[in-house]
Amino acid sequence: MDDFECIELDNINKVFVVKFKDHKVMDPARIETMGKELMSLLAGNDSERMLINFDNVSFFSSAAINKLIVLEKRIRSQGGQIRLSNLRPEVRDLFSYTNLDSMFQIKDEQEEALASFEKK
Amino acid sequence: MEKAAKPWRYDNRIPSQPDYCANVISLILEQLEKSSWSNKDTFGIHMAMEEAIMNAIHHGNHCAPDKDVHVLVELFDDRFYSKITDQGCGFDPDALPDPTAEENLEKDCGRGVMLIMNFVDVVVYNAKGNSIEITKRRSDVPSNNHVEADR
Repeated sequence: MDDFECIELDNINKVFVVKFKDHKVMDPARIETMGKELMSLLAGNDSERMLINFDNVSFFSSAAINKLIVLEKRIRSQGGQIRLSNLRPEVRDLFSYTNLDSMFQIKDEQEEALASFEKK
Repeated sequence: MEKAAKPWRYDNRIPSQPDYCANVISLILEQLEKSSWSNKDTFGIHMAMEEAIMNAIHHGNHCAPDKDVHVLVELFDDRFYSKITDQGCGFDPDALPDPTAEENLEKDCGRGVMLIMNFVDVVVYNAKGNSIEITKRRSDVPSNNHVEADR
């Protein structure tokens, strides 16, 4: 199931669970690719549920955040849900300083995030 | 009186291409690691420098091949200082929309500048708005040992 360049994909209880392959998500070209790969998961019009696990991420640029905002907007417009989990404190600060934690539901652990999805 | 150690210095003009930003950031991160700066401080400096240099390349110089970005970095025992200047016409940071306002959350405008201001201690723009000075104090140095950082 994993033939992506920038993301690792798993499917747990009908939830797309995504991890980033890059430790530091900052290269503009790879961020473009990452954005396209995330959007490709929403190719149909289904209301998808997606969890992005930041376990491996030590740096995340604002350009990468912009891709998540576009993704969230698309998921929301299709009636889907998105959660973020496993953010290091510094990466978590990115979302709180910019008030984006009001847009994204952020959970400490993957299990907690998976349990927080509303049933379809 | 003990003489202060000479800072590590980087002073260069880089082309307006993102790859050159990555190279400068790598050099800075290498120096911060050599000097045992904490992960938290390193993250803040990385974030601020990435945003400031990429802003200069994209929004300042519009990636023009005939324009460069002047990057000066000085790493002292107790603080990090950088001045980044582009050849664009500048901007007014006070005129940027508030990126944390509900109606602006989905817009890509002002978030980078806000992140810079949150992750470092002192941010100063010149009057034209094409040059930014950034200072971050080392957090594991007792505050009374800090040299006045507002240059």
